[in-house]
Amino acid sequence: MSVLHIDDLRTSLTLNGRQHHAVREVNFRIEEGETVAVVGESGCGKSMLAMSIMGLLPSIAVVTDGHVVLEGKPIERESERQMEAIRGARIGMIFQEPMTALNPVLTVGEQIAEPLRDHLGLSRSEARRRAIALMERVRIPSAASRYDSYPHEFSGGMRQRVVIALAIACGPRLLIADEPTTALDVTVQRQILDLLDMLQDDGRMAMMLITHNLGIVAAHADRVVVMYGGDMVESAPVRALFRNPAHPYSRALLASLPRVDRDLSELASIPGRVPPLTRLPDGCRFIDRCPHAMKICQALPPRVPVADDAEHEVRCWLHVEGSGRDASAG
Amino acid sequence: MSAAAPVPAGAAGRTYRPGRTAILIGATIMAAVLAAAVLAPVLAPHDPYAQSIATRFRPPSAEHWLGTDGFGRDTFSRILYGLRVTLLTAFASTSLALVAGTALGIMSGYYGGTLDRWISAANDLLMSFPQMVAGIIMVALLGPGVTNLILAIAITAFPAFYRMARSAALALRGRDYIDACRVLGYSDGRIMLRHILPETMDDMIVVGTLWLATAVRTESSLAFIGLGAPPPAATLGGLVREGFDNLLEYPGLAIWPSLMILLIMIGLNLIGDGLRDSNDPRASA
Repeated sequence: MSVLHIDDLRTSLTLNGRQHHAVREVNFRIEEGETVAVVGESGCGKSMLAMSIMGLLPSIAVVTDGHVVLEGKPIERESERQMEAIRGARIGMIFQEPMTALNPVLTVGEQIAEPLRDHLGLSRSEARRRAIALMERVRIPSAASRYDSYPHEFSGGMRQRVVIALAIACGPRLLIADEPTTALDVTVQRQILDLLDMLQDDGRMAMMLITHNLGIVAAHADRVVVMYGGDMVESAPVRALFRNPAHPYSRALLASLPRVDRDLSELASIPGRVPPLTRLPDGCRFIDRCPHAMKICQALPPRVPVADDAEHEVRCWLHVEGSGRDASAG
Repeated sequence: MSAAAPVPAGAAGRTYRPGRTAILIGATIMAAVLAAAVLAPVLAPHDPYAQSIATRFRPPSAEHWLGTDGFGRDTFSRILYGLRVTLLTAFASTSLALVAGTALGIMSGYYGGTLDRWISAANDLLMSFPQMVAGIIMVALLGPGVTNLILAIAITAFPAFYRMARSAALALRGRDYIDACRVLGYSDGRIMLRHILPETMDDMIVVGTLWLATAVRTESSLAFIGLGAPPPAATLGGLVREGFDNLLEYPGLAIWPSLMILLIMIGLNLIGDGLRDSNDPRASA
C-alpha cells in the first residue's frame, strides 16, 4: 500500500467568478521509504499540490476532483478536526524559509515539545525529554543546553534543523519538504539534505521533495514528477528521466542545466514564460513554448507510458501513436 | 537556564532603556495612590459618611486635614474612600474591556471574513460616538449603580482594545510561523491562545494603562454630571461635583479631589508612555 496516492487530483481557484485549474489531473504514488521529487518552475502548482494534500488551501481554492489517499484512506473530504489530527502527526511539512518559520518569542525547545503535547498528549517533562532527543536526532549540538535558546540565537541551517525536528516530532509517515534548502547556502544545503536522507532511512518515512533544483533531484530522489502549469507532464524514475526525458518541457529543463564539463558562454533557457493562471491553454499547457507543438496539442494529451516502462509516464501527444508524429521525433 | 540567558534582540550591552524613569515615577505615584485606597479604612481619620451639622465647612485643621464639607464630613477621609470606588471602577471596566476587546479582536483578525465584518461594523458604530457621549448613553440605558457604571465605561473602552488586537492578529496571521502552526495540525484555538495572544500582550498592556487613566476620567466626568455612583457613595468625580456647589466660598472642596484625579492621570500616563517607549524598537535604536 502506498503511503500517499494522488489520484487524478484537480484543484481549482476561483478568480473574478471564473474557475481556473491550478492543479490538473495529477496522478502519482509515494511508497514507504521512497523520495519523490516534484519539480517545475515557480507557479507550476507545486505548492498548491502540497497544500491540497495538507487540506490548507486558501479560501478561493478547492479540490474539485480526484483523491488524496493517505495509507489507503482518502482524506481530502475529512472534517477540519480530522485534518488537524493528520497534519503534524501523520504528515509533516518543512518550509522554504527557516528564518521565519519559528515563533520568535518561544524557545526552540518549547516549540519542538508543542506538537508532542498536542498530538501525543505527553506530559511536560516527557515532552521535554523527547524534544531533546529529537534535537539530538537532527544533529543539533549540545541539544539539552540549547533547549531554552530562542530562534534568533540559531543560524539558518540550525533553524532548519529545528523545523525538521518539529515536522518529524510525531513520527509522520509522509514528509513534505517544500524547497527545504532554497534559502540556505550550498554547504548547509548538503547537510540538511543528508540529514533528511538519514531520517528517512531510520523510519521508512515517505518523502515528497518539492524543488526546482535538478541537482538535488539527481542526488536525493528516487522518482521525479515534472510539473508545468498545473499539469503533471512527466513522471519517471530519476535515472530514466535524466537519461531519456520524454516531454519536451523535461528535455528543455534538463538542457538548461549548466554543466561543469562544457564550455559555458551562455546559459540555455526556455523561450517564453509560464502563462498566467487566468490564461492557461485548455489543451497541453506547454503549447506556446514547445518546439514540437502540433494542432492536436490543443486537446489535453493523455498519459502514456514511455518505452514500455510502466514506471515512466508522459503526458504528450508526441508519444501517442498515430497523432501526427513519431515518438522519437525531436 | 544556561549562561546564555535570552536577551531581547538589539538590547545586548546597552544599559539605557527609554521610558524607564517615567515608568519609575509613574509607578511610585500609583503605588502610593493604590496603597492609600487599599488602606483607606486604616488611614482615614474619620468616618467618610458621618454627618455633623456642628462641623460644617470647617477649614483645614489638625482635626480635619482638608476641612469638612457642607454635611460636616471629613474631606480627606472622603477622598480616600472616593479613591477606592473610582479606582475599582476604572480597573474593573478597563480589565473587562481588555479581555473582551482582545478576545474578539484576535478572533476578528485571525478568522477575517463575515465574523470580522460584523464585529468590526458594530465596533465602528460604537466608535462613532465620542467617548463621553457613549458613556452617557450607556449609563442612561443601563441605569444607575456601580456595576452598570463599570459596564458602561467598559463598553466605551472596548473599541481601543478591539482595534489594537485585531490589527495585531491580522499582521501575525500572515507570518510564516503561523502557517507552520497550521501545518503542524494545531487547532485555531491553540494558535490564537499560544502563538498570537502572547505577542499582542505588550501592546495591550500599554493601551490598558493609558485607558485606565481615561477610565478614571470618564468615571469622574460621569459622576460630575450626576451619572456616577449614586450618593452617599464618595467617588472622586462626585466629590468634585459636591464641592462645585460652593466653589467660590470653599474652593478646597472641589480642588482637593481634582488634584487627586490629576495625580492619578499623571501617574498612569507616565507608566503608559514609558511602557510604550520601552517597547518601541525604533525608540531604542
